Amino acid sequence: MNNLDSLPKKKILSLFMTCGFPTLNQSKKVFNEMLSHQPDIIEFGLPFSDPMADGPIIQEANKLALRSKLSTQQSLNLIKELSKSKNNTSFVIMCYLNTVRKFGLNKFIKNIKSIVDGIIIVDLPFEEEDAIKKSLSKNNIHLIKLISPMTDKKRSKKLLKNSKGFIYYISATGITGSNKLDYKEINKNVKSIKKMSSVPVLVGFGIKSKKDVIDISKKTNADGVVIGSALIQKYFDIKMDFNKYLKSLKKFIQEVKI
Amino acid sequence: MKTYKQPSTVGRFGEFGGMYVSETLMPLLLDLDKSYKKIQKDKKFKKELNDLFKNYVGRPSSLHYAKNLSKFINGPKVYFKRDELNHTGAHKINNCLGQILLAKKMGKTRIIAETGAGQHGVATATVCALFGFPCYIYMGSKDIERQKPNVFRMKLLGAKIIPVESGSKSLKDAMNEALRDWIKNVRDTFYIIGSTAGPHPYPKMVRDFQSVIGKEAREQILKVEKKLPDYLIACVGGGSNAMGLFYPFLNDKKVKIIGVEAAGRGAKTEETAATMTSGTPGILHGSYSYVLQDNDGQIKEAHSISAGLDYPGVGPEHSYLKDIKRVKYFGITDKEALEAFQTCSKLEGIIPALEPSHALAYLIKAFKNKHKNKVVILNLCGRGDKDLFTAAKAIGFDADE
Ligand SMILES: Cc1ncc(COP(=O)(O)O)c(C=O)c1O
Repeated sequence: MNNLDSLPKKKILSLFMTCGFPTLNQSKKVFNEMLSHQPDIIEFGLPFSDPMADGPIIQEANKLALRSKLSTQQSLNLIKELSKSKNNTSFVIMCYLNTVRKFGLNKFIKNIKSIVDGIIIVDLPFEEEDAIKKSLSKNNIHLIKLISPMTDKKRSKKLLKNSKGFIYYISATGITGSNKLDYKEINKNVKSIKKMSSVPVLVGFGIKSKKDVIDISKKTNADGVVIGSALIQKYFDIKMDFNKYLKSLKKFIQEVKI
Repeated sequence: MKTYKQPSTVGRFGEFGGMYVSETLMPLLLDLDKSYKKIQKDKKFKKELNDLFKNYVGRPSSLHYAKNLSKFINGPKVYFKRDELNHTGAHKINNCLGQILLAKKMGKTRIIAETGAGQHGVATATVCALFGFPCYIYMGSKDIERQKPNVFRMKLLGAKIIPVESGSKSLKDAMNEALRDWIKNVRDTFYIIGSTAGPHPYPKMVRDFQSVIGKEAREQILKVEKKLPDYLIACVGGGSNAMGLFYPFLNDKKVKIIGVEAAGRGAKTEETAATMTSGTPGILHGSYSYVLQDNDGQIKEAHSISAGLDYPGVGPEHSYLKDIKRVKYFGITDKEALEAFQTCSKLEGIIPALEPSHALAYLIKAFKNKHKNKVVILNLCGRGDKDLFTAAKAIGFDADE
């Protein structure tokens, strides 16, 4: 069974968080807090030294997580442990290709099989994905596709062929945490994606508040949102007081669950 | 022998290279690749570039017989390919002119670049001044400190310098930030990458623009020596000056080719930039190539006294040439490079940059009292003005006195 195959039809909420942030032990509490709200999807970011597509907030989270030399194995163990209280929430890993390559694709899959429903490899373009996609699909793990405003129709068509799970539409040309949302453009592009694919389309990059979530739902045809940097930002907003962080996280997630 | 034909149409040098970037950049790289292929066949483009090479850069750069150094080594006849005489003081300008003409053709209106030693930043700022483009240079704050003369030059040329505080605050981090800028400003921005690194088509494109070095050197040496050289030697950071010299000779099997990396405090230590001696294949900045990384694939911080070689990766074509054994790669320490820096200055009256000082150090070390009657071409790809403060400090000379 793959939880991503039974996502709700509308208002899908996906929450992104970096594994091992701020520390491995605290990270467990953060994810447990997130899980307790039963979001549709949790995205587990595997920290990488050079997160090329991430903005300053997720970069900082990566840096803090790697401070204590968090290993890939520790991150995967954490995900495995959390999966005991997974219920209907889909688990998705978001990472860079070098992490998977160095760990070994087969060993990686062995570690996440029947635990993780999907994987987003940020720097693995369609042109290079064949071998990896095949191995993942054999193990019922969906390779999630990113589409950006720069992806034209012809390319989208190729990318979206046989897509599974959901489609991650990058709402703004930019790194994670960018802030300008152009609803008209988002709507136009989401509509065009939906013509080519039947899986849900989630909008991510730059969703920061309850208002953003409502606007995406009202003003566009998207099926849901991904929130990442905004969840991490809270930690820095309250001056890194961890107990306060958990509380503000709780409040924020309650807000964005519309 | 099979003629050398790399990379493949998708940017593979053997298994190395490729395009490992997020979907926001993919369409841009494909577009860049298409545009680059088009201008390669464009006679007007070629003419314009050659004109600039001749009248703006001062090409061809001379091939100087380094008599005194040759005598000191008591081995081969050493020739310097003097790209340090170029306008702006290094080989970097060759590539920048090619790329800015391409940017113009593609209708881009804003230029970004990363820089380590500041030579590529200066060259980019220079071509932006010449062609009237706004110019943004990403530079690690550690490099801003050790390459001050170049920082001031870039400012004079009208560029905006954006200090990078992340990671090791040097070249790798500057490139991360430049890539992020590009992802944010995909529509109007052209990213001039300064070395044969990054995703396809950069490694190929930069090599092609730099190969004017090797083409000239080949003609020049055939004229004076009536034969091809026995050895080529160049320093390797990302690998652009080296590829520029090597590429036109790759099919000449008799020409032995040597790339020299920065070993920092030693290739076996943690403070090194000797990517091919100490690294393993991995993915950095959109390309599959040798990198310095740990068991989990986290990229390590590099170390070299030379900011231009202080990079934990290397261009994919070098990784390929290493694996097929066409080029041999060796490491030279900070200390050895500093010594060669002084030897060359005293013997030849040429103050080299710290980058080619690594190539010089290898030459002096490996060829001493050996290889007599052989001919060597060494790429003297940059001059040392930018390094005077760093060198003075390392040698223990008080430059303020
Ligand atoms: C004079 C000089 N040589 C070499 C390099 C290293 O780059 P590459 O290996 O691409 O030639 C630099 C880089 O800044 C440089 O300034």
